[in-house]
Amino acid sequence: MSRTPVRLPTPEVGPRADRGPIRLDLTWADRSFTLWMVDVGLACCSVEVMAAALASDASRSAGALVRGADGGRTDVLVVSGTCTDVLAPALRRLWERLPEPRRVVSFGACSATGGPYWDSYSVTKGIDSVIPVDVYVPGCPPRPEALLQGLSLLEPGSA
Amino acid sequence: MSALADAVVAALEPAGASASDGFGPVTVDVPTHRWVEGLEAAYAAGAVFFDLLTAYDLGDHGFAVMAHLAAGDLRDHVLLRTTVPRDDAALATATGVYRGAAWHERETHEMFGIGFTGHERLEPLLLPAGFGVAPLRKDVVLAARAARPWPGEKDPSDSGGRARRRTLPPGVPADWPEARP
Amino acid sequence: MTAGARPPRTRGVIALVEESCTVCMLCVRECPDWCIEIDSHTETLPPDDDHRRPRTQAVLDRFAIDFGLCMYCGICVEVCPFDALHWSPVAEYAATSPDGLVHERDRLASWEATVPAPAPLDPRGVVDDPGPRRAAGRLASGS
Repeated sequence: MSRTPVRLPTPEVGPRADRGPIRLDLTWADRSFTLWMVDVGLACCSVEVMAAALASDASRSAGALVRGADGGRTDVLVVSGTCTDVLAPALRRLWERLPEPRRVVSFGACSATGGPYWDSYSVTKGIDSVIPVDVYVPGCPPRPEALLQGLSLLEPGSA
Repeated sequence: MSALADAVVAALEPAGASASDGFGPVTVDVPTHRWVEGLEAAYAAGAVFFDLLTAYDLGDHGFAVMAHLAAGDLRDHVLLRTTVPRDDAALATATGVYRGAAWHERETHEMFGIGFTGHERLEPLLLPAGFGVAPLRKDVVLAARAARPWPGEKDPSDSGGRARRRTLPPGVPADWPEARP
Repeated sequence: MTAGARPPRTRGVIALVEESCTVCMLCVRECPDWCIEIDSHTETLPPDDDHRRPRTQAVLDRFAIDFGLCMYCGICVEVCPFDALHWSPVAEYAATSPDGLVHERDRLASWEATVPAPAPLDPRGVVDDPGPRRAAGRLASGS
């Protein structure tokens, strides 16, 4: 039987103007604020972060996600999903590259404490052992509204 | 029954390969020294879709290595299974038949310590360098469960003391050396 | 979507009805994540008009759920024989520290006000009635 050769896709690498942080225009409890967010989407929780980003006022009026340029202003780093010990150094390096003021939101149980996998041989038991965390959003996964409430806890006027 | 399974059993006769129908795909037990032959028979019968290769720790009986294969239209599938001994666990590589097995064999080697002879690149894949153990072996215990005090150990009728009959949380073996007295 | 508009049985946060808890410890033992912690002690009640012998009663000291670990499986709510734990649809209780995600007795009890009434099993609340035409068709075809 002849073997069909498999053609693998070639990935695109390099910075792009439309691949940067996502702009969120949020209104929470009578406060309106704009945040540029980078989501480190590691697992299931990232789907809820996508839902929250698509529900943001900016995307509702524009009809699509508003993204800044690669390397553009980033206000908050959202870590959504399970961080493993192998991945932790990369997460640390990413956080170190962000300019101040930088805030970190841990989204979901896995990034807060390791969640259901706290006893695993490979899972980091909470990203706060690798980078400092400002807000912890509980849930497995949390609702998109929970992300908005968590972002509202960040100190106002963070640049 | 499965046409793929029948084809494998027929190709391996009279070597004692048997088919059994439990839950899920039909399982064909292949003699260890005829593992590649069994895979080639499945491929020749139309199992062009390689789904996964993994292992299971049988304790004293060694490890069971399983390959899940399916026909191109995914209407038929079969599980080929063989056993390797615990000491010197080694099996011929499946990459000659299915290139995609390369990744799975690397992972199985890392998680169980099973060698795949003929594999081009059996290097660590998922675990950090120097991890030291094959974590999916049954004799590697989840240390976190044994080390952390289990909230369910408390007995309300004991008024704050330890339960008279020591209850262990699920997953901690009774003879784990560091389990608290 | 506000909490009230969410589907019935939405798993937002767990509320504790303290009066129903008998400290049986089933929720603690069954939690796959070990995120519930209970402390208690026993008290001996003397005989009275209704009871001829002294009784020991378990008294709850501490009931805590760590929502940083919780995976919202609902096993604790299901296994409680006395219905002391209930689901509430409120999902917005993020905190600025991991300790803020541990809810103690008082906070767990405060969620009770947000627990909705149980939803009917059939959202339309009617018995499934196939109607005369469909029933007749079934009889005619012999199925």
